[in-house]
Amino acid sequence: MNDTDQAAVRTEGAWKVFEHDGIAVEAVRDVTLRIGPGEFVVLAGPSGSGKTTLLNLLGGLTRPTRGRIWIDEVEITDLPERKIARIRLERLGFVFQAYNLLPVLTALENAEFSLLLRGVPAEERQQRVTALFERIGIGGLEDRRPGKLSGGQQQRVAVARAVVGQPALVLADEPTANLDSASSTELLDMMVELNEEFGTTFVFATHDAALMARARRLIRLVDGAIASDDTRR
Amino acid sequence: MERLRLLLRLALRNVRRQARRSLLTASAMVVGLALLILSRTLADGAHEQWIDSGVRLGSGHVTVQHPEFRARRSIERHVTAADREAAESALRDPHVAPLVRAVAPRIEAAALAVTPGSALPVAIIGIDPRAEPAFSEMEQRLTDGRFLEPGDRLHAFVGEALANRLQVELGHRVVLTAQTVDGAIGEQLVRLTGTFRTGIPEVDERLVFVPLATAQEWLGLGDAITSLGVLLDESWSVPNAARRLRTLMREREATAAVLTWREAMPELDAAVRMDDYGDYVFHIILFVIVALAIVNTVLMSVLYRTREFGVLQALGVRKRDGAALVVVESMILTGVSGVVGLVLGLGATWLFFRNGLDLSSLMGDQMTAAGTVIEAVFYPRFRLAQIGVSLAFVAAIGLLASLYPAYRATRIDIAEAMKFEA
Repeated sequence: MNDTDQAAVRTEGAWKVFEHDGIAVEAVRDVTLRIGPGEFVVLAGPSGSGKTTLLNLLGGLTRPTRGRIWIDEVEITDLPERKIARIRLERLGFVFQAYNLLPVLTALENAEFSLLLRGVPAEERQQRVTALFERIGIGGLEDRRPGKLSGGQQQRVAVARAVVGQPALVLADEPTANLDSASSTELLDMMVELNEEFGTTFVFATHDAALMARARRLIRLVDGAIASDDTRR
Repeated sequence: MERLRLLLRLALRNVRRQARRSLLTASAMVVGLALLILSRTLADGAHEQWIDSGVRLGSGHVTVQHPEFRARRSIERHVTAADREAAESALRDPHVAPLVRAVAPRIEAAALAVTPGSALPVAIIGIDPRAEPAFSEMEQRLTDGRFLEPGDRLHAFVGEALANRLQVELGHRVVLTAQTVDGAIGEQLVRLTGTFRTGIPEVDERLVFVPLATAQEWLGLGDAITSLGVLLDESWSVPNAARRLRTLMREREATAAVLTWREAMPELDAAVRMDDYGDYVFHIILFVIVALAIVNTVLMSVLYRTREFGVLQALGVRKRDGAALVVVESMILTGVSGVVGLVLGLGATWLFFRNGLDLSSLMGDQMTAAGTVIEAVFYPRFRLAQIGVSLAFVAAIGLLASLYPAYRATRIDIAEAMKFEA
């Protein structure tokens, strides 16, 4: 396998079936997918189409009922939880709809969280986070707690937390859902720039039309299965 | 190290952030620890008073006797002059002497007291009038006349109840009859010099104190005695003192036994133990309630932060670190509560140091049980080791109570946690 064959994430016949009151619900059905480095991918579909569940499978947040999953060419399907935690720490970044910053930490402490867990020295952490904050327009907010930041600012801190460790893949679940349109546009511009400038791979789950319009690859899900997979130029 | 510091930082800030919940958890521990300290110091104080009274009325914290004297109560089983000398020399040992408050040689024998109006079985206690006041409380229990004094020869100090039963008053004569050490029957005439009242019927109705020299001569014991009572400054130094004395006695080839008050006075030992067990049951109930309160609030705190624990895991924090966060938060609360509870407990104890705990409305001025006089007012006793045990107990409760919530934190499903709304 050469570099061009290297996938940021890939799945092979992945299924996720939930049991609800004895009834099996197929949230993800037989998904085979390959997302390469530097891609800017949107998983789209109506509510209940399986976008978030597929995103969780790609991020190792939940295990597939059947099928196999690789992150950065490491198969995580049956990997012990502590090893998946290590992969999440070193190779993945997450952006959530509700920002999910840790309320007791400052913006800087939130953003440097994964670097700290990875043992990056304090000085380097601070330099990287400060530079990134300047780059994404939230310079000077380092010492603020999440409660003192607007929704847009919080989501930028969340993006900074996701990308500062230069992960192989950033997974974002409805990142613009709680933002007004102006903040949403600014956030998208920023993520496109990060994708183009640093080659960070982004995979979004959304039904935000604006985000879908910016996608270079749009994967549509219907009832947990891939209905279409279009790459745009 | 960075990971640990992060854990501590998160834990500290989480404790501060959930101030009301933290306060609730902490107050359960503070009250629990304060009550534990107060009840232990009061119980220790009460027990010390019981023991002090019991050993002063009896044979001391430690007593040197013939190995079979307790079982046979016969003066044939006496401490020889040589053994007595060995024991007195052992008591001068530099490891023992600082612990000793008083030493009293005694002779105990069964006798018959005869007066013109009555004849009753009595217990003779031959005492050294010089040594006895520092050892026993009998002089303070005087109701009439005087206590025995050095130089007394044919004098007796008896219980007021016994004097009444013998129909004698101060200055009256009493003939004491007992078996001497060689098996003969010996008689001794004494005059009543004083009476006492302890409140313990078996003491007030049976004991006749006579000078040691009189008893030795009357019973043919020479310089021998039946016991050498040793009063210590503190009852908790008894095991050490007894162990050392036994060693020293063995080194001096003495055959006399060294008994602690627990061995010599099993009724008093049982009373103290029973009271301790009652306290332990109270403490267990108290701390089960405290532990449940801690489990409840810490568990609620974990469940309330389900999403946060999910985020931590999503960011690469191991499940066991998430669990450690819960334990550290609980231990921080325990530590702070420990300090506050200690201050509160000692403060409450200090109030009782001044005036004592007065139970006279419940039991009158005093009551008797297990061969000792229990005063209605008792004072707390502060022991550093006991405080350490109390703190360790609370720390263990704090740790144990955090284990289940910590386990629950490891069971959080990340994907489900992301949907959680507090």
